[in-house]
Order: sequence, then C-alpha cells, then structure tokens
Amino acid sequence: MTVCLCKKACICAALAFMIFTARPIFAQNLSGTALRVTLTPPAGSLKMGDTPVFRGAVTNLGSRPMQGLIVYLSLVSLEPGQEHPIDLEDWSAQKAVRIERLDPGAAQYQNWEMRLIQAGRFGAALTVINPEENKPVISSLITFEVQPKPTLSRGRILPVAIGVPLLLLALLGIISYSRLPRRYGSS
Amino acid sequence: MNPLYPMVRKEAIEDLMAARGVFFLLIATLVMSAFSVLLVSNTELSLLDNAEAVYMMAGIIVALGSLVSVVRGSDGYAGERERETLEPLLIAPITGRQIAVAKLSGILFSWLFLYVLAIPYLWAVGSTGQNLLPSLEYLFITGSFMVVILGGLSLALSAKMRSSRGALSLSLTILLLTGSPVVLGASLRQSAVGRLLDLINPMAGALNTLDSVIIDSQGFSFQVLRLSILIVYSLLVTWALRAATKRIEP
Repeated sequence: MTVCLCKKACICAALAFMIFTARPIFAQNLSGTALRVTLTPPAGSLKMGDTPVFRGAVTNLGSRPMQGLIVYLSLVSLEPGQEHPIDLEDWSAQKAVRIERLDPGAAQYQNWEMRLIQAGRFGAALTVINPEENKPVISSLITFEVQPKPTLSRGRILPVAIGVPLLLLALLGIISYSRLPRRYGSS
Repeated sequence: MNPLYPMVRKEAIEDLMAARGVFFLLIATLVMSAFSVLLVSNTELSLLDNAEAVYMMAGIIVALGSLVSVVRGSDGYAGERERETLEPLLIAPITGRQIAVAKLSGILFSWLFLYVLAIPYLWAVGSTGQNLLPSLEYLFITGSFMVVILGGLSLALSAKMRSSRGALSLSLTILLLTGSPVVLGASLRQSAVGRLLDLINPMAGALNTLDSVIIDSQGFSFQVLRLSILIVYSLLVTWALRAATKRIEP
C-alpha cells in the first residue's frame, strides 16, 4: 500500500515538474509572435510555364517598432516520394526582401512572382526573421498543384528529324544526277 | 567590277553545289536528328530540362559549325596548293587579302546554311519551352564569332603550310584544345584557374553565353564581357589572317 502511494506521489511529482518546466516555453511561444505573416496564393488553376504572383503580408502586432526584418519565400515539393525543399534559383528572381522599419500596427506587402518550371504538388511559406528575436515567424503553408504541360511533341520533332536529312539527300541526288550527263559528254 | 565579288560568289556557291559541301551538311543534320529523336522519349520535361535540351542542341550546332569551318579553312590555301589551283588564282587580278576575304566569306556562308538548317530543329525542341527567340539570336551571334575565329585561324595556318593534312591536324588540335575545358565538370570550372580558362577560352565563352541566355534567362548586360572577348579574338584572328596572306607562296 505504502509502495503504491509512493509510486503515485512520484508520478504526480514528475507530472508537476513537467508542467512547471513546460510553462515558460509555452508563454514564450505566445509572447514571441508579435509579427503576423501571411501568404496568399493566386486565384485559379496553375500550369507549367505560368508566372503567378503570391502575395505576402507582414504585420507588426506588437507595441514597439521593428527594424531590419528579413522576409523570404520557401518552396517544397510535396509530390509523394519526392518530398524535398526546392532551390528557388530558377523559380523566382526575388530571393529575399528586407523591411527597414515596421511600426506597431503597420503592415508591409510584397508580391512574390514565381516561374512554374515543373509540374507537381508544391507547398510555399513565407518566413520572417527579426534580428532581435531568436525565433523566425513562418506563415501557414500554402499548397498548390501545377498542371503538367508537354514540352516536347513527337508531332513536331519527328517530321523535322526525318524530313531535313531527306531533303538534303534529295539535294545530293539532284546534284549528282545533274553532273552525270556532263561526265558522259566529256568522255 | 570588283574581282572580289565573283570570288566570294564562287566560294559561297561552289561549296553548296559540290557534293562534299552538301555531304557535310547532311552529316550535321543527321547528328541533330539523332539528338532530337533521343529527346522524343521524354515529352514531359520540366521547363528547365527543356531549356537544357535547347542549350545542348545549340551547343552541338556551334560545335558542328566550328568543325565545318576548321575543315574548310584548312583546305583553303593548302588544298588549292596541293590541287595546283593556287598558282592560277595568284596570277589573277586579285590580291592575297581579297582571296582571304572571299574564302572566309565562303566559310561564313557554310555556317549560314548550317544555321538555317538548324532552325527547324531548335523550333521542334524548344517552341513550347522558354527563350527560343533569344536562343536563335545568340546562337547566330556566338556561332558566327566561333566560325570567324576558328575558320580564320585555319585559313591562316593553311596559307603558311604546304600540306592540307598538316593544316587540318593542327586546326583540329586547336579545336579540341578550345573544346577541352568545356568537358571539365562544373566544380573544376568554379576554381580560380577554371574561371580564368573559361574567360579566355572562346568556345567556353560562346557556350556560357548560350547557357546564360537559354537556361538562366539573363539579358544582354550579362553577356557583354563574354561577347567582348569573342570580338577581341575575332579581330586578332582577322589580323593574323591578314598577316599570313600578305604574301602567299604558290
């Protein structure tokens, strides 16, 4: 009986310790989000080759102005089996935006143009880094589907690949044929 | 009438009307056809992969143009000397420099024919991708510079060498040397030495320009340095050709 009571006391003590130590982290999460960042996807369906514009907004919800904020876009492939972050090098010319100063209650908007060079399912999120805080603020992940677009067509390639050499062969034949009578004539 | 015009006409038309000239073009189109057919199996490339395919096709065309210019250039004087047709040419009322201009124009015409034949291939591969028109423009510009540089150099060597085989061997060696840094991996070319080699090598300059335009969609301002280097090489080769053809021995 005493052993059982001891066990219960230990479990209660451990739970109390965990709750006690977890509280400051929870509080920090709530108080650390003085920034709100949102990313809005373009309307309508998207297909390869499109250059849609994603709209980003960064709002200062705090009571103090913020300076030197860095905003950047992240893109991930969500294709089943091919989940990986994507290097924006070829997708977007705009790599990052610096916000010099954001006053309390003020919002800053950016347009993120993206060149959709590949088909598949993707996720995009906007991240804001405040140099004065040790936690980045990230928008909700936006998922979107890029429809494939055939980039090579057999109907175009094969006639060219076969037709052009045939045309030259015909020219070669004409040249050879046109020289035959002269050769016989001279002999 | 300026004796240069019939000479240019002869050099430009003769090669096309000769079976040898058409045969060269036929081989070039067969190479382009083989590459296009290789691509047919994958019709859903990403736009970047498609641009890569257009870039590779453009690179093949520049290489073929360079090869044709080297073969024609090394035959320019030494071949005529071997066939014993150079002497009558030298006693004609035309200067050595005019002969050089006519022969270089003939090489440029060969390149022009090859370029015209390459347009349908580039259209077939890249019309639904990106940067087709800039790729055609820059292919013409960089290819013409490469043809002037390598064709002009081969002509200059041919004017000074007695055997067309010797001129061809030396010209092909130069072509291979200009092409060799291109086959180095990207990591090796990122080093200081690799970047320097890329900068001074005209073939690397031409291919990097095409890469920048077709794949990276970069504008003219990014190409100025590389195009300037190609212009400098073209001027140097023209000067060398002028010096080599000042006095031609039959």
